[in-house]
Amino acid sequence: MSKKVIIIGGGVAGMQAAVTLEELGIRSVIIEKEDGLGGKLRRWDRLFPTMTPAEEVLDELKDRVQRSGVEVMTSCEVSEIGCEGRMVTLKDGSSLESDAVVVASGFDLFPAELKEEYGYKIYDNVFTTVDLERMFRNGGVRTVDGRIPKTVAFLHCVGSRDEKVNQRHCSRVCCITGVKQAIEIKQEHPDTEVYSFYMDMRMFGPGYEELYRQAQQEFNIHFVRGRISEASQTIDHRIQIKAEDTLIGLPLKMTVDMLVLIVGMKAGESNLRWSRCQGVDLYPSSFVKPKNLFLGGVESDSKHIFYAGTVTAPKNIGESIDEGIAAAHRVAQRLKEE
Amino acid sequence: MEHFRLFVLPFWLGAIFLLVTLLYKYISWFIGLAPDERRLFFRSLFSRSVFRSVGEVIRESLFHRKIWRTNKLLGYMHTTFALGWFLLIMVGWIETLVYFKGENVPLYVDIFFSYYVHPIFEHNFNFSLIKDALLLLLLIGVCLALFKRIRSRAMGMKRTTKHTWGDRVALSALWLIFPARLLAESMTSAVIWKFGGVVWALGEEHHLILPGIGCGSFLTNTTGEFLARVLPPDILQAGELPAWWFYSITLCAFFVALPFSRYMHIFTEIPLIFLRNAGLKSGEKVSSYDQFQTHACSRCGICIDPCQLQRDAGIVGVQSVYFLRDRRSGKLTDQVADNCLMCGRCEQACPVGIEQNKLRLNSRRERAVPVGENRYGYINGIDRSEGTGKVGYFAGCMTLLTPKILRAMERIFEASGEQVWWADKEGGVCCGRPLKLSGEIDAARRMMEYNTELFRKHGITVLVTSCPICLRVFREDYALEGIEVLHHSEYIQRLIVSGKLSPRFGGENFAYHDPCELGRGCGIYDAPREVIRSIGVLSEAKENREKALCCGASVANIAINDEGQRRIGERVAEEMVATGASAAVTACPLCKKSIARSNLIPVYDLAEVVANALPD
Amino acid sequence: MVNWGYTITRVRRVDIDSNDMSYSRKLLAEFPELQSCIACGSCTATCTAGNLTKFNVRKLQTLVRRGEYEGVRKELEKCMLCGKCRLVCPRGINIRGLVQKLKKELPVK
Repeated sequence: MSKKVIIIGGGVAGMQAAVTLEELGIRSVIIEKEDGLGGKLRRWDRLFPTMTPAEEVLDELKDRVQRSGVEVMTSCEVSEIGCEGRMVTLKDGSSLESDAVVVASGFDLFPAELKEEYGYKIYDNVFTTVDLERMFRNGGVRTVDGRIPKTVAFLHCVGSRDEKVNQRHCSRVCCITGVKQAIEIKQEHPDTEVYSFYMDMRMFGPGYEELYRQAQQEFNIHFVRGRISEASQTIDHRIQIKAEDTLIGLPLKMTVDMLVLIVGMKAGESNLRWSRCQGVDLYPSSFVKPKNLFLGGVESDSKHIFYAGTVTAPKNIGESIDEGIAAAHRVAQRLKEE
Repeated sequence: MEHFRLFVLPFWLGAIFLLVTLLYKYISWFIGLAPDERRLFFRSLFSRSVFRSVGEVIRESLFHRKIWRTNKLLGYMHTTFALGWFLLIMVGWIETLVYFKGENVPLYVDIFFSYYVHPIFEHNFNFSLIKDALLLLLLIGVCLALFKRIRSRAMGMKRTTKHTWGDRVALSALWLIFPARLLAESMTSAVIWKFGGVVWALGEEHHLILPGIGCGSFLTNTTGEFLARVLPPDILQAGELPAWWFYSITLCAFFVALPFSRYMHIFTEIPLIFLRNAGLKSGEKVSSYDQFQTHACSRCGICIDPCQLQRDAGIVGVQSVYFLRDRRSGKLTDQVADNCLMCGRCEQACPVGIEQNKLRLNSRRERAVPVGENRYGYINGIDRSEGTGKVGYFAGCMTLLTPKILRAMERIFEASGEQVWWADKEGGVCCGRPLKLSGEIDAARRMMEYNTELFRKHGITVLVTSCPICLRVFREDYALEGIEVLHHSEYIQRLIVSGKLSPRFGGENFAYHDPCELGRGCGIYDAPREVIRSIGVLSEAKENREKALCCGASVANIAINDEGQRRIGERVAEEMVATGASAAVTACPLCKKSIARSNLIPVYDLAEVVANALPD
Repeated sequence: MVNWGYTITRVRRVDIDSNDMSYSRKLLAEFPELQSCIACGSCTATCTAGNLTKFNVRKLQTLVRRGEYEGVRKELEKCMLCGKCRLVCPRGINIRGLVQKLKKELPVK
């Protein structure tokens, strides 16, 4: 009898897990709540630090999924994991039996409007990194009234390391995302002045620090050490921002054409639903707590539930895909034992 | 001196000590009052307020009506002790008066009457029946108090634990007084039961009775008979006097400990009621009148339950009861004085009506550090205001961090065609209330003067603010004659009524949260509700209006940590969710931020929902 | 040169070896959240007093942590205690409480 594994979430981690499982001869089903595979990557233009088009990665993964014959259910949402991974219940009430579940449900983007003082969805020219990716894909960065911005300010750590929005953790990938997008703006509009307001720059991956250096040297991006405290709109719809330039120790005020909020990763809302299943634990940040951070990063306390990708913590694309592979191998091993 | 016995000495000395101490305290506090406060009091003696005070003394000091309203068991206990004991003394006094046919006898004869005279209930009506009934009532009260203390401890309930030394002595003595009295009267009755003796019945004068009858009424007679049967005759005879000694000593202990204990409230509430009804109030500075208030606290602990610091943030030992205790004993610390939201919920619940917030505030003022001259010299001449108009809008510091409120106000002004002068859009000078709340009132006054000058300079006639903290200080501490101060809820309501603003009715269900400074602080409950009703359906939280919860972010608390604030805010958000409304509406930027923080329900300021309902 | 509003007489180097760290240590024991400051400057940027004068609360508390107390108390008197700093602090530091504490505990000098 052939075994069947359910994979919750068709993002990069989920797709890779499914593909690997098929390679190992185990049937897998991806349940994706959106209408297509790809998760957050669908909304991205290029990837740090290599500026590789997101489509390249996405198409390759989709291709693998198709070739391996993984069953894909889109526009279909899991509401509950039952019997410690032996069954999942869907939103429409039906349920599916399984031999194991790989939870690859990913993360949510931090809703920038929760930081009201930055004026997102209040002022016209305040955007998030996600909005910017959309602009990159749709023909370029423009202000609301269609002008090329002459000055752009980026603000790091929006919804990261912030007690006031219950986001204590560091979302890791936003630092390098901000650097990448700053460079992209400069590539598109070399005359635009780009300011980046940061607290700490955490360049944790290969080539990241080099990209940061490139941003400083080659692209002349101004890094200002300080967090913007509030933003307001001027009569001509520009954004006035206030911060402290902490390296000088003086308040700083400037008016920009565009303010970009570098939003962090928030634990997926579905994590709370998963936590109702025995064996699934959450961190205070609401990310899922793996069995062991060192020796069981893709495992849970339940024998039939496995994790891959950002369901457990903020990760980049490469790490998420690798976790898909790791989780698949763990599942295969477990099913073989039984 | 024919009735004098040695055992009356403890009682007699204790009573004299108590009387002298009370008089000394009350007189010195009274002398400490400001001359016009004393004048107010004397004038009130010839006004109707005296009748009001007498009525209030009977209602509150004897019947404890307000305690009944909060907690039935607590009310019963207080009433039995206060009214029961009072009646016991009154009945004893009348009895003595009747027996001695109006002859003047020392007070101890009234108190120890049953030792001197052995009333008997056998033949005719007698006072002893009433006295026994009252004593029984009091004994039940003692049992209840004991039971409550043991049970609440077993249940881990936080009450007014940690009594002071004086409290403990007085409490033990108080609980012993009535059993001691029962024992003493029973011993006397037992001696009469065993050996017979001279007894007195009303209307029959004295007569001799044989052994086996005893004196007293249903209670003391029965216990007397029991003792007479159980105890050997020599112990009975030798034990009577020590029992009365014991009773006298318990009374003495209670009287001596009373001025140093919470029972000081028994007597202090009476002058407090008279002074309060004469129009006295606690103020910015610590005053002699404060003494009457602090000593009128019975440490009943009713203020603890409504305190959200205790309830949601687990902060104990700082509530009003503890604050007053520490202040009275001179052991007040910053930790206690500063750790209070000053939301006013305890004041609302206090059965004695003590002005908790004013007292805490003047304590803070007392403890504030002295600061240099010309402290805010740098604000001189600064004017960052914009626009012109008869209507001035003061956003306040906090509103500058909630641009949605600013935006909404802009839209509202625009839609209603009002010309507006913006006082502080580009940042202004703080209203001064946060500084005042931390006790630095004189320094705060400098800011008040600055803002007043600014308002005058721009010739506004109406001052609108969307921050209830600013509103309160504008109304209470600023001299703004000729300028009408309005909260934006009142202002918006006025615009709607006058037809200048016509928001559409959308039917959305909003739960309204009363900000402390707006509701309990300024008494504004209806304006925001009316405005909400004109655009949607209004839902009420379980605790609302005068009893509304605090959001936890109050600027009055400079000691609470972030986690405490977060937990209190989250609890408020949960209450908002529980109403079933789709969104919460409040009328204060701080409340908005702290309720929104938990991300449980969308939170809007009143101005936002109005602006959203305006036709494009 | 920037005028801080208080005089700086000593050689300008934070000398932790010779600074009296005892108060700093005591403060951090009673106010451990202060160590979580990431020096983002939000407090100073939003500061009502800081927008009208060179008052810099972030810098002042850092000075105290390093054992530099001179002039701090005097400078703190500029604070209006409005509470905006506390509201924006991403680390949840009770900055108002800190200001009051320092005002009470530091020498007036």
